[in-house]
Amino acid sequence: MKKILIVEDQPDIRKLIRMTLEFEDYEIHEAADGAFGLRMASAVGPDLVLLDVMMPGELDGLQVCQRIKSDPKLAGLKVVLLTARGQARDREAGQLAGADDYLVKPFSPLQLIETIERLVAAV
Amino acid sequence: MADLHAAGAPAALGLADPAMAQAQLERVITDLGRVYRERNDALRALARAHHEALLRLSIAAEFRDDDTGVHIVRMGFLAEALALALGQNAAWSKLLRMAAPMHDIGKIGVPDNVLKKPGPLTREEREVMNRHAQMGADILGASEVPLFKLASEVALSHHERFDGSGYPRGLAGAAIPLSGRIVAAVDYFDALTMDRCYRPAIQDKQALEMMAGERGRLFDPVVVDIFLDRADDMVALRDRINSHRPQFSALLDDEPLGAAVT
Repeated sequence: MKKILIVEDQPDIRKLIRMTLEFEDYEIHEAADGAFGLRMASAVGPDLVLLDVMMPGELDGLQVCQRIKSDPKLAGLKVVLLTARGQARDREAGQLAGADDYLVKPFSPLQLIETIERLVAAV
Repeated sequence: MADLHAAGAPAALGLADPAMAQAQLERVITDLGRVYRERNDALRALARAHHEALLRLSIAAEFRDDDTGVHIVRMGFLAEALALALGQNAAWSKLLRMAAPMHDIGKIGVPDNVLKKPGPLTREEREVMNRHAQMGADILGASEVPLFKLASEVALSHHERFDGSGYPRGLAGAAIPLSGRIVAAVDYFDALTMDRCYRPAIQDKQALEMMAGERGRLFDPVVVDIFLDRADDMVALRDRINSHRPQFSALLDDEPLGAAVT
């Protein structure tokens, strides 16, 4: 079963994301901030990380994404950024950070599940 | 109702109450999940029914061409094994297993006096016979489902030859889809090594030598080399299929190669 890690500081949103991912058979893990998410990524070995961009704490989503993508031990791990901002330069920042895809809040459940299906099918 | 408000009952029973809004969202997502799964199940059932109908039609076409129908089962599994040996991924190889047995479905449109003619065909009869590739592609091609698109590609291209002398389009080399190059080789070997009404089966060793002789002519040299390299495995797989006689449902089901024939 493919493993998905959700990194999102808002518990309500995290729950809605989890419920959406449960449409398919995934093993789902959750983290409430960037630093914990990064440690979970190493500990759990997920196939994909869904990463909120704006989070309080020492690491925001873009920074977590950069660290994941530059860590050889996490090679192949897919990252999808989730953010309330949808400006072109935010997408660019996501691409620069190495994200595999970029979704905007409020998220579309079908778009989320289809994006994740497509990315993990290629793993 | 007015009395309730007047009595100071909480206005927070609507979406203005964050807890209520969240609970309502969760209900909507739960329902969406149910609809999502029901839709996917229905699409799978539809594709399966379509596949089954076309496989039955393929078997009908095959029976007319005097065989027991096991040929098309062997074709599916041998094509999958060869695709994997060529380094194709498991998902595509499995799709080819399900698609390859429909390669001759167009023979359903070839008249008996041509299909079952004992002697050599005249030029006109040969033209009628050769139309089965395009007819098969047309029967299978009216679909956006990946399985039927691949099956249509196989039906259209399995009589193309690597040197460009095949039909219907006279494609050469890599212009012939890989699916067609694989199925052409597997079809050749399997047809040679089975009993026909007009001749007994040719021995495996001789059939492999004949295939080697067509390297670069009828067949893609890479496909032939891999087939010959894995000849023992291919023959063993064929013999397993013959002794277990799996029905075409083995081609329909989503099970790995081993499960249906071991």
